[in-house]
Amino acid sequence: MEQVLVALFTMVVGVLGCILYFWGSNIILDLIYPASGKKAANNIRKSSAIRPWLFLGPAIVILSIYLVYPVINSLYLSFRGPAGNEFVGFKNYIWMATDEKFLESFWNNMMWLIIVPAASTIFGLVAAALTDRIRWGNIAKSLIFMPMAISFIGASIIWKFIYDYRGEGSEQIGLLNAVVVYFGGAPQAWITIPVWNSVFLMIILVWIQTGFAMVILSAALRGISEETIEASVLDGANPLQIFFKIKIPQIYGTIAVVWTTITILVLKVFDIVLAMTNGQWGSQVLANYMFDWMFRGHDFGRSAAIALVIMVLVLPVMVWNIRNARKEI
Amino acid sequence: MKLPLYLGIAALALSANMAQADGHLKFAPGEDARFHWDSYEALKSTDLSGETITVFGPWLGPDKELVESVIAYFEEATGADVKYSGSDSFETQIVIDTEAGAAPNVSIFPQPGLAADLAAKGHLTPLAAGTADWVRENYAAGQSWVDLGTYAGKDGKDELFGFFYKIDVKSLVWYSPENFEDAGYEIPTTMEDLKALSAQIVADGGTPWCIGLGSGGATGWVATDWVEDFMLRTQTPADYDAWVTNDLKFNDPKVIAAIEDYGSFARNDAWVDGGAGAVATTDFRDSPKGLFASPPKCYMHRQASFIPAFFPDGVEVGQDANFFYFPAYASKDLGKPVLGGGTLFAITKDSKGAHAFVDFLKSPIAHEIWMAQKGFLTPHKGVNVDAYGDDTLKGMGEILLGATTFRFDGSDLMPGAIGAGAFWTGMVDYSGGKDATEVGNAIQATWDSLK
Repeated sequence: MEQVLVALFTMVVGVLGCILYFWGSNIILDLIYPASGKKAANNIRKSSAIRPWLFLGPAIVILSIYLVYPVINSLYLSFRGPAGNEFVGFKNYIWMATDEKFLESFWNNMMWLIIVPAASTIFGLVAAALTDRIRWGNIAKSLIFMPMAISFIGASIIWKFIYDYRGEGSEQIGLLNAVVVYFGGAPQAWITIPVWNSVFLMIILVWIQTGFAMVILSAALRGISEETIEASVLDGANPLQIFFKIKIPQIYGTIAVVWTTITILVLKVFDIVLAMTNGQWGSQVLANYMFDWMFRGHDFGRSAAIALVIMVLVLPVMVWNIRNARKEI
Repeated sequence: MKLPLYLGIAALALSANMAQADGHLKFAPGEDARFHWDSYEALKSTDLSGETITVFGPWLGPDKELVESVIAYFEEATGADVKYSGSDSFETQIVIDTEAGAAPNVSIFPQPGLAADLAAKGHLTPLAAGTADWVRENYAAGQSWVDLGTYAGKDGKDELFGFFYKIDVKSLVWYSPENFEDAGYEIPTTMEDLKALSAQIVADGGTPWCIGLGSGGATGWVATDWVEDFMLRTQTPADYDAWVTNDLKFNDPKVIAAIEDYGSFARNDAWVDGGAGAVATTDFRDSPKGLFASPPKCYMHRQASFIPAFFPDGVEVGQDANFFYFPAYASKDLGKPVLGGGTLFAITKDSKGAHAFVDFLKSPIAHEIWMAQKGFLTPHKGVNVDAYGDDTLKGMGEILLGATTFRFDGSDLMPGAIGAGAFWTGMVDYSGGKDATEVGNAIQATWDSLK
């Protein structure tokens, strides 16, 4: 109860503070350079030069403190020892190259990188195309979109009950095993089967992200000009041809943006692995491994080095994504 | 407006706390003959009126109330004002507080490793001269406790920094007396008997063990306890100590043998409920429930003294569930080793009151007040064991007092990357069928990379 009150209090103070800042600073600016009187034109020019900085100011300051500074500090720490107080050169990077668990995380991440964006985009596209045509399409859409509203940890808990395993002979409370047993199979401890367990974890993320892909792609599909479709119908194209040869080429850009956005998300995947396996049974991923070295190994250097690897992997995708998004507009 | 409302509630909570803090001692001094009231009276010779002592520890909720009920006696007798605060992220917070120079007077560490780290950085004050001798003299297996609380300070000199108070015993096997009686099983007193009993249960068509390693992000720790118990039962205490500091390598045949001894239970399909495959995924909190199923899914469960908290509702400890000492091999002359854990008190900001408070922990009354309630064990030989709140606690206390060797949970003493990382992963992999030598090599490789 006390925590709820404190959280509420902080929120109210935060929101009021923000309003006060933007509103107040705006008024003060107008008082200093009033838009009336003799120098009105001059004042308006001056104040409109200052105003954007006034409004952008907090965001720039906060971004530098919470984004730019950590990146620089991570770079610095990655060349230093466990407690961050001695220079060790490339030792952390050399360790990384030979560490079994790191390599495992790296390859697992690559696997996530290929499967999750591909599956989410394809399922999203299929869902978007199918739901566009039918009457209850909107209901189907909201059902598919709903997992987006669930936090990763929440989703993991839900899927824990799907993958849950009880010894043979006892009642299976896991949905998947219950189905397997119903059809006469032997129950499996799904999340402990190497390689496949990663796939089972990926399904969770695909489940969440399909909705996102669907919504964006469905909007793109609607944006396709009717003339092109009409023309192809007149030329005798069948529905599949229309879909693959007319519609898809026109939304390539959007598909790429969806794909890369999910890719960036996948590179940072952490919560699902932490909650489901914590990287055991060969399912480790980079972000979780970084967390492990930071809070279990108490090694600033190594976790900073892993963090930089994630950043280097994300960076090109992100740059490309932003450029692409700009072109779209 | 939320602010006045919030302030009002805060003030209300504050005054409620204060009302609780003054007066009302749990047991009226001088009344119950089980307590050493003389040690309480002796406290009154220390006058600390006006002195404030801040205490910071990991205990929250019911544990917080319990520790405050003990502290109340200290406050009443000396006039000091003790402020206890607890946090569930104690380990992170204490590092921040000491680095920032805002440390509490006394800190309660759940792991010796963290205290050793802070001692090396010069954040801990050595305990008063003579404390080590006192512990050696008055605690069962006293030397073990002195060694666990002794670290190198900033100047590299070894000194006693930690005073142990509140201990858990891990070498326990839980069972249902009713099921044992029905089947006519006797409580084994040697490891050989325990293995024979397990085989007997299988022959009778039952399953002897429930083992579960699942613990969310900490999955695997249960198995590390098993291996530690087997290290103590197959190797000398000196070897155990060497293992904890990695002077004895993780892939040494001695360690591999201990891992395989654990495997002879956990990797034996017939011996564990659900088969070996279920061990790694079963949650440790669910695992003891098999003892109370009908028919029983298993007959025995090896787990620390805290596990009754996870027994199904209505299970009465002492009646429906009981425990026995996880026995030692009769063929090996290693006495009765006990594996355990515990919390240690250390002074993080020097003051007269802080030393007086640690001194207070030496008095029998400081132990008896908590013993008489729940969840507290002590190796203090000067306390009256009749003060234990129930027979279960008393039985565990006797195991602790009867220990010839006490060793602390090894994974808590190893570096975090091993004890809360590679060791867990290794045990999960081993339980899943990986070769013990391979697992030992992998853990050793991680440890080598730390040096």
